[in-house]
Amino acid sequence: MIVAENLCKDYGNKHAVNNVNFCISKGEIVSLLGPNGAGKTTLMRLLTGYIEPTSGEVRIFDQDLKTQRLECLRRIGYVPESGFLYNEMSVCDFLHYTARLRGMTEEAYQGNLRLTVDNLELREVINQKIETLSKGFKRRTGLAAALIHNPDILILDEPTEGLDPNQKVSLRNFLRHYGRNKIIIISTHIMEEVEAMADRVILLNHGKLVKDTTPAELKELFPEHNIETAFYKITSEAK
Amino acid sequence: MIKTIMTILKKEMMSYFEGVSAWVILSVYILTSMFVTFFVGGFFSINNSGLFSFFYFQPYIMALLIPSITMRLWAEERKSGTLEFLLTQPISVLSVVIGKYLAAWLMSSIMLLLSIPLWIYLNIYFSADNLNIISGYTGCILITGSFCALGCLISSFCSSPAVSYLWGLIILFCLNVSDFSSIIEAMHLPQIIELRLHKMLSLSSHYYDLINGQVGLDNILYFILIIIICLWLNVMSIDYKKN
Repeated sequence: MIVAENLCKDYGNKHAVNNVNFCISKGEIVSLLGPNGAGKTTLMRLLTGYIEPTSGEVRIFDQDLKTQRLECLRRIGYVPESGFLYNEMSVCDFLHYTARLRGMTEEAYQGNLRLTVDNLELREVINQKIETLSKGFKRRTGLAAALIHNPDILILDEPTEGLDPNQKVSLRNFLRHYGRNKIIIISTHIMEEVEAMADRVILLNHGKLVKDTTPAELKELFPEHNIETAFYKITSEAK
Repeated sequence: MIKTIMTILKKEMMSYFEGVSAWVILSVYILTSMFVTFFVGGFFSINNSGLFSFFYFQPYIMALLIPSITMRLWAEERKSGTLEFLLTQPISVLSVVIGKYLAAWLMSSIMLLLSIPLWIYLNIYFSADNLNIISGYTGCILITGSFCALGCLISSFCSSPAVSYLWGLIILFCLNVSDFSSIIEAMHLPQIIELRLHKMLSLSSHYYDLINGQVGLDNILYFILIIIICLWLNVMSIDYKKN
């Protein structure tokens, strides 16, 4: 379970995240929605302990992220939006490096590697250098690094960006399957992705949580019965 | 923590030797060192039983080369966006700082190892004062350790390796030539205290004591203190910058 309580992050006078509260339980796939600059990435960075909140707290399975940071991070897999791969490494070396940083045994790593590589269809590029990969393979390599330790919580920033339609469908299926007994938080701009994957939508605008609901309820809020319209109307109202 | 430090150390050493950078640095070091030792330091014309002509110029050569070893350690991580990946792993910032620092220090020590044939040559063809040479190497290892810690700290402030190199070069050269006399004189202290302060703060005076065979505890502690302070500041700067 992830609990965010009165979470705030200020950059100077700007409130990037402003008094956000939510609780996410096991088995939920939550989509973070919001226009550019709404605070989605900042919120994800707060949840992964990359940055510290100005006030408020995050608890991961009843452990305080601030005081028990390492224990909390062991349960999280995180894929930032872009540019977090070591281009000079091969896919295999990068995954091995990640596993070693996570303190995995060689045996556990080998077992998880086989599964992750097969699930994400990375077998054909496993020995290839990351700099030579296509955007789609790079995204999947990042996802593989986040999944290598089989985390209880998966936090993904724009996971399908750069993937072709087939890869998008296969990734969504995989995430739906993986999220059955885990927590997945996905930041996205793509409404069809929200409908296809999310059990719940957290809508952010100007750093504030403006709606915490299900995709079906969000659709029903306006007569057009369309998530895109709901998104537009809610975020415009907040302006 | 040790496992993490070793993982980071191994990764950084591999990235030095996978490209050409390590080989270029090692080649430049050996060529510069030998040129300076034989042609500027007058290897054959002075009493050189303690390899003085080699050790004397090392701080300047290290000031030129160590920034190229440390420049990308943090600046490149920040520039390419991998810092976010690294700092969201279940590892402490301190272990990453130590791992990167040790990689830089190990790389500089490999450079120093290249000069061992000179020591052997001196023992075979001339009379060598081996105790003095060991003391000189201790000084070299300690000064490279301090320079690496400073270089890592400078890299943690920069977003580009090139900028990090330039700042490293300037600061390390200033440290070599400065004996802090203008600062000490501005304090208007009694002359005896001024002299003691000068001796205490000056990097070159501690280093030249060591290459002259005076392995005092104060000399060793001076360099260890620089290393600890720089690594601590490095942790602070990474924490501060990401927030």
